[in-house]
Amino acid sequence: MRTSIKSRIILILGLFYFMTGVVFAGEPTDIVFLTWKTSQPKVWANLIEEFQRENPGIRVKLQVAPHSSTQYHAIVTQRLKNKDASVDVFFMDVIWPPEFANAGWLLDLTPRFKEQQRAKFLPGPIAANTYRGKIYGVPCYLAAGLFYYRSDLLRKYGFEPPRTWDEMLSQGYEILKGENDPALSIYSAQFKQYEGLVCDMMEFIWSNGGTVIDPKANRSTLAEPPAVDAVSFVRDRIIGKASPRGALNYEEPESLELFIQGKAVFHRNWPYAWSIANNPKRSRIAGKTGVGTLPAFPGHAPASALGGWQFGINRWSRHYDEAWRFVQFMTSHQSQRTLALKAGLAPTRRSVYQDLEVRKKMPHLKAFLPAFEKARPRPLSPVYQMISQELQRFFSRAIAGRKSNIPALAGVASKKIQKLLELGAMVQR
Amino acid sequence: MTPGDKKLYLFLLVPAILVLLLFVGAPICQSIFLSFHRDIIALPQLKTPFVGLDNFGELLRDPVARHSFLITVIFVATTTSFELLIGLLIALLINHRFPGRGALRACVLIPWAIPTVVSAQMWRFLFNDAYGMINYVIFGVESARYIPWLAMPGTALSALIIADIWKTSSFAALLILAGLQVIPDELYRAARVDGAGSWRRFWHITWPLIRPALLVALLFRTIDAFRVFDLAFVMTPGGPADATNVLQLYGYKKMFVEGWMGYGSAISVSVFLIVLVLAIIYLRTIGRHLMEARA
Repeated sequence: MRTSIKSRIILILGLFYFMTGVVFAGEPTDIVFLTWKTSQPKVWANLIEEFQRENPGIRVKLQVAPHSSTQYHAIVTQRLKNKDASVDVFFMDVIWPPEFANAGWLLDLTPRFKEQQRAKFLPGPIAANTYRGKIYGVPCYLAAGLFYYRSDLLRKYGFEPPRTWDEMLSQGYEILKGENDPALSIYSAQFKQYEGLVCDMMEFIWSNGGTVIDPKANRSTLAEPPAVDAVSFVRDRIIGKASPRGALNYEEPESLELFIQGKAVFHRNWPYAWSIANNPKRSRIAGKTGVGTLPAFPGHAPASALGGWQFGINRWSRHYDEAWRFVQFMTSHQSQRTLALKAGLAPTRRSVYQDLEVRKKMPHLKAFLPAFEKARPRPLSPVYQMISQELQRFFSRAIAGRKSNIPALAGVASKKIQKLLELGAMVQR
Repeated sequence: MTPGDKKLYLFLLVPAILVLLLFVGAPICQSIFLSFHRDIIALPQLKTPFVGLDNFGELLRDPVARHSFLITVIFVATTTSFELLIGLLIALLINHRFPGRGALRACVLIPWAIPTVVSAQMWRFLFNDAYGMINYVIFGVESARYIPWLAMPGTALSALIIADIWKTSSFAALLILAGLQVIPDELYRAARVDGAGSWRRFWHITWPLIRPALLVALLFRTIDAFRVFDLAFVMTPGGPADATNVLQLYGYKKMFVEGWMGYGSAISVSVFLIVLVLAIIYLRTIGRHLMEARA
């Protein structure tokens, strides 16, 4: 018994020796890429492999965090705050660059990411990566809230995709009546108390001519009528009526599941949902879907929230050049093309939208370019996370209670947000 | 024991004390230190000034914190009372001699042995609004009547409470069982000779003698329930409408999501103080009871 353990230990030690031996032989530089759990990990792994083939001197180590922007944010901030040099490149949500740049965790990319290079990208994501005139991240893919619908059902009942929220409801109720399927609901979206709720609710508010923050006056406008009315609409007409009450606990995956199981007529999600909804292996409604801009309230323009992910380089990294080479590769025309075709992610480079194969295989993408160009960012502020927590609290309290006093709740939240805005303004002076 | 031995004993204690200081003492001190400062990670320009008791004052005025405190108290009160009751019943059951008792005792401990994150994930699936087992058991295939347990403020907190009771009743049972086993059999035999029925035997022998064990179980459970975090973090992350935003989760969000280190620390320090006071009260009561028992 004892000898077998001994021999096993020797074996393991030997194995380690071999492994380290291989490392020393090639002497490539390791860079650590911290990212979150994406929907298509294989596509990413292939891209990273390709990068390593082209750059034999660099080896990319992947570290994967949970599929939750908020949890991932907590991990990234803890590591950067502690000046952890073991991360070189990391993926950033579109709402983080101001916070990270202000905290001094991001390498200033202005000298590397030149003006003429930036012009090749869409303006929204570039603006999101710019803080006080300097650029801190390179946009990888873009997202915007999109409106998915069952094209087969709309055709069957002779409807055009709805342009207003009311139209969506009236079409939906007619389809529900005709289909007579108790499992079918009208609308599937994200109403859980988390970051996604902010996007979904802001879209309702924007499409009613409202805002949450007036950036010029640095003032909270959450308690004003357009915002309050839009939130009331969601509570009274959507939750528990057009959407199952369970949507109060839905993030993107759960709400998409409802749609691709054929249990919802309309669905709000990011661009990545397109390839999943049309993948016959995962979706029951493949080929029966259409996608367009979200509806609006009468007399107002539709709006969608800007999302998407960027690469940032850790200020404390010891491999700036290798990390930059990796970022350049991952955001190149070729890589963005792969991500578009294989993972359904919307490119941030204009040129990819002109690519023949992309145009042929993803005809919907080009149609969205105008929407992507106009997608609205959530407040760009170093204290965005605090503002978002207050917004999430307000939205969830407003829509989860059947008789919530929305104007009063909005007043309380608005005052808190105003305080946070003033706090954020203190450092910008 | 010679004086030399004493030195050796003290010397042998050093590693344990060092580990405790490093991994328990230091973080607690750090938290207390942070709670007296304004430290916002995203705004390093503000530095980290000493603000005295400002964070705690703010905490007392914060309606969200008050709400979180209330939820936590409801959670603690319901879970501990049910856990002690169910624990007592389980303990009485597995204290009896019957075939397969050993196996049953082991089975009872399974829920407690599963890591909380895993069991929380399991309960999240059980309570799922579309394919959850609980809905299926109650409503069968009538999916239109399925209840979205975790999406409604009232039921979400109840779901958390049920998951916690399932998980930790067996721990209470274990502690109470230990108390039951020290009761000598002669007492029961003597009572039987005197003609006491089983109910009387319970009230006059079992109950007074397991009270210290019950108190210990109560102490452990209250303290543990006050620090509830992982269950809420996995099952609901605080929602809907803050209905499951227990104190520790609120503190976590302040610290790790918003980067408000000082304020978040003030929340954890407050939880620490509440638990400390509870522990002192309990220990004094238990101490008295043990004295009485000995006398």
